[in-house]
Amino acid sequence: MTTTTIAVTPARLRWTGVWHATLLPILLVIVWQVWALTLPENSAAPSPVKVMHAFFELVANGGLISATVQSLGRVLVGFAFALVVGVSLGALMGSNPTVRHNLDPLIESFRPIAPMALLPMAILWFGTGTAPSLFIVAYAAFFPMLVNTVHAVSRVDRKLVMAGMTMGIPRAKILVRIILPAALPGVLLGARLAMGVAWTAIIAAELAVGAKSGAGQSGGIGQMMFVFYAYSIDLNNIVVCMIVVGLVALAIDKIFRFAEFRFMPWRHK
Amino acid sequence: MTKTTAAPKIKLTGVSKKFVAPLTGHTTLAVTGVDLDIQAGEFVCVVGPSGCGKSTILNLIAGLDTPTSGTIEMDGVLITAPGAERGVMFQDYALMPWQTVVDNVGFGLRHGTPGKNFTPAQREARIRDHVDMVGLKGAEKKYPHQLSGGMRQRVALARLLANGPDVLLMDEPLGALDAQTRLILQAELLRIWGETLPREQRKTVIFITHEISEAVFLADRVVVMSNNPGSVKSVVPIDLPRPRAEGVRAHPVAEQIWGMIKDEAYRAIA
Repeated sequence: MTTTTIAVTPARLRWTGVWHATLLPILLVIVWQVWALTLPENSAAPSPVKVMHAFFELVANGGLISATVQSLGRVLVGFAFALVVGVSLGALMGSNPTVRHNLDPLIESFRPIAPMALLPMAILWFGTGTAPSLFIVAYAAFFPMLVNTVHAVSRVDRKLVMAGMTMGIPRAKILVRIILPAALPGVLLGARLAMGVAWTAIIAAELAVGAKSGAGQSGGIGQMMFVFYAYSIDLNNIVVCMIVVGLVALAIDKIFRFAEFRFMPWRHK
Repeated sequence: MTKTTAAPKIKLTGVSKKFVAPLTGHTTLAVTGVDLDIQAGEFVCVVGPSGCGKSTILNLIAGLDTPTSGTIEMDGVLITAPGAERGVMFQDYALMPWQTVVDNVGFGLRHGTPGKNFTPAQREARIRDHVDMVGLKGAEKKYPHQLSGGMRQRVALARLLANGPDVLLMDEPLGALDAQTRLILQAELLRIWGETLPREQRKTVIFITHEISEAVFLADRVVVMSNNPGSVKSVVPIDLPRPRAEGVRAHPVAEQIWGMIKDEAYRAIA
């Protein structure tokens, strides 16, 4: 009898993974198209073929790409703000119990307020340009950033800090060289969650701000969706926007996972 | 007042430490009335039943904690804070998980006061020497989680020695190892400490262990502690020639020390 060995190479495993991840979406698209074929010719219901067509058109006229870039730009600025404030305040709260106990009630009472609940105020204060969207994004991203940083910093192994002290490392350097690197996995997790909610929030904020500014130039993929909804009732275009929003979210998550892999080689088992 | 040559390296006078639980306010007297003189170049082991305050005393000497009453001096100067002249090797090694073997060994030299007396090139050479000294050549780029317990312990030892402390404070450093590795590393520790060197060239070591045979094999003197509250019961000199032979572990003095702590050790686990 002969033995057959199936060589399971990393490449082979990767392709198996891709296959498993795409099988269900492909099936769904097929089912959707078959269903669309049963509808009358003049139906407004979107179908994969029509959506594909709309996609190429929106890419060709440049509107989709510039709207996506604008939304992404807002998310990055809002996220950067949440990152800087969230990590600094989180490091302070995480390492200083007095500060933590003083700020906790305030933070915890703001945290359950959904970012969208601040929209009316944001629009009244900041108008209908980029500012209200930035405000909403920064607000949404701030809490996961802060809460995860506080948790990560307060859970840093005391022994590592003690080891640093017995090696004659000054206080400020202990924060930079020991506490922050030790807390990095938790901080990065917070950043990934923050980026996720920031992207969710920008779409909603742009939709609402777009509604307020009508067909005016508030920009972004969320406003684009509002314009398609309110002025042309074009479902195919809206579905294109939805798909782009989903793909961007997926790409952001992948980038963060890659960053975790790249910047924390000590976590590879 | 002039300092005599016999002035102790480390001197504990009437040291007590009381801990207060933050929520309940419940106080625990961890150690009380500890008087202890440790000479320069001496290897002192501290043994005793669980909960006798061995680690508390080590933390106090390290300056990581302050005594509730009494004083601790090094070379006649009061200890009030941690310092690199008193290096600590922690029970679970306290290695930085995000640093490789080399970076862990060089951590104090690169970021702390021990590096001040060296040029960057000298620092790196010193780090390499210490990695080699503990037999970690070839593992320089590995992270702590990729190492066995014995190897991690070597990294911690190399880091401790690379910082060039005057006094080595070691808290059950071999506690987590299997029996064979432990025996090998005991002998290696004595070699690195300088068992064959004259006394004045050796480091001062305070070594906590619960293994009496280990204490007898390593120490010049064994401090036997007793619990509830922690205090020094007896100080037993181990006047055996160095380098120590393997058979020393079974010397009758080990039996004698066990006799001192047996009752309390049984009570501690009852």
